[in-house]
Amino acid sequence: MHHAHIDKFAYQDSAIHRLDSRVKFLVVLVFTAVVISLPRTSLSILACYAIGPFAILVWAGIPLKFVFKQILLVSPFVIVLALSCPLYDRTPVAVSFGPFSWQSSLGWLRCFVILGKFIVTMLALIGLVSTTRFSDLLAGLQKLGMPKLLTIQLGFLYRYIFVLIDRAHHILQARAGRKLRNLGFKTELRTAASMLGSLFIRSIDTAEHISIAMQARGFDGNWRTLSKLKVRRCDLFFALTAAVFMSGLYFFVKPILQ
Amino acid sequence: MHMANELLSIPVATGTLAIAAGSLGFICRKVRQVIAAEKLALMGILGAFVFAAQMVNFQLPAMPGTSGHMVGAVLLAIILGPHLAAIVITSVVIVQCLIFQDGGLLALGCNIINMALVPSYLGYFLYRTITNGRFSSLKVYIGAMLASVITMEAGAILVAIQAAMSGVLAVPLSTFLITMIGVHFLVGFVEGLVTVTVLAYLQQLRPDIVADSLPGTVRLSKNAVLATLGILAVLIGTGLSLLASDLPDGLEWSYAERPDEPGFETVVSNPDSRITAVDDFQSKYSLMPDYSARASKLGDVADQEEADIGAGWTSFAGIVGSAVTMAVIWLTAWMLRRKKAS
Repeated sequence: MHHAHIDKFAYQDSAIHRLDSRVKFLVVLVFTAVVISLPRTSLSILACYAIGPFAILVWAGIPLKFVFKQILLVSPFVIVLALSCPLYDRTPVAVSFGPFSWQSSLGWLRCFVILGKFIVTMLALIGLVSTTRFSDLLAGLQKLGMPKLLTIQLGFLYRYIFVLIDRAHHILQARAGRKLRNLGFKTELRTAASMLGSLFIRSIDTAEHISIAMQARGFDGNWRTLSKLKVRRCDLFFALTAAVFMSGLYFFVKPILQ
Repeated sequence: MHMANELLSIPVATGTLAIAAGSLGFICRKVRQVIAAEKLALMGILGAFVFAAQMVNFQLPAMPGTSGHMVGAVLLAIILGPHLAAIVITSVVIVQCLIFQDGGLLALGCNIINMALVPSYLGYFLYRTITNGRFSSLKVYIGAMLASVITMEAGAILVAIQAAMSGVLAVPLSTFLITMIGVHFLVGFVEGLVTVTVLAYLQQLRPDIVADSLPGTVRLSKNAVLATLGILAVLIGTGLSLLASDLPDGLEWSYAERPDEPGFETVVSNPDSRITAVDDFQSKYSLMPDYSARASKLGDVADQEEADIGAGWTSFAGIVGSAVTMAVIWLTAWMLRRKKAS
């Protein structure tokens, strides 16, 4: 039932996994905002900021290969847009890096900074979701003020993603087993549409069965859960460390590196 | 079309987050009043359906090797009604961000607006206006097709506008807009074809679903839509007019500082010490500093070169130091784990 490729690391156990989901969420949100507001042409400060999420990922035992594969998977849009920068911004700048110095254009600098920021913020986001169970994250988000309807919706959605993806796999397998060549766009489209249609009808039927089963058990539109959320001393310590790390880099290291 | 954090500036990101959160709160409150408990499971499962539907791909004509898949926003808007569809697709966008890391955390506001709120409301409105309540296959065809193409284009245009308002990219707005509109016309066209074919299939098998007898749909008043469109137009208009001040790159660059030309004289300078102090403070601690390239000391070429070399070494130290720190962290963790395992 549980898909191996979706948040498989959230169910491990480590000091990072045990932190309160609200604290982790807020830290990652602030971290992302700070990284985004860094200067648009300085790469070195980004490298410093990368240490934070990197340490968390390593400490939580998330394989780095998985992390980078995930980043690569979602990067095409950003890569295309970043690569457009050198085309339009050709202001020449002299870049020096240690013993080397060469002539480059501002566009390339911006391109690399966009990619760098992308990687660093993605590291932080993956650090959050691969160390937090989705149910805990939802409970935390609801405590932070997310509408209840949206929480319930997300909970249902997450619960049935795996079921429906399994079903879609079966349908795709059936098509692959019967189709030997490209059938031309019209037939392909019609086949896909019937697959989607039957998936849709089955989803609606499933939903009916589930809601009957839930109502039989007294579901009235409210989710009652045990709240395990508690901000403990180690959560405060984590938040404090993160704050010191971010503000330290921002106020003391950034002015030097610029 | 997922917007990334890096393409947004902080004001645009927080502004769109606030708009998205506000409208979601409003929609949720409104839906909560009319929705029955049994609808909740349906909404959740249709959200999951969107993910499963995106796996069903089919080959596109004229472009061998590429395959298209459905996005599903317009289909859901047609069948569920705009409010429920908005909530369902918002939840899809949130899960895409949190579980699949598609689109950044700060860009969530933009993504919710572009891919959930605009498609479901605009798509539903277009579809309803064209089909006009009566169900005929031609009207459904045109309605679903137009709704898919136009909502896709609207989302793409919003992406371009948000990126331009942020001023992170160097691409001129017009070029970006034309590219986005061109690419998304194709995407929207395919989406429209799929939506229409799925609707036709559903109409054959379960006409009760298509003829919006699915209970719990909330009607949308025409005035509300027009008012929303008006507000949206004003918001985008003010955003674009602020563009000039949000995008100081070209202008400011040319009159204030040119690190590439050390001998360049600043055209505008204010000798007032208070202004200089404020400028210094701003460049030091501002949340949104401009280029980090060092302002050149007027006419002092040698100094500038030395400064450049110094800057090169500090950035070298920064990057190498970070890399070494990360390597140390990784090694320590590796050794600890090995110790634990043995």
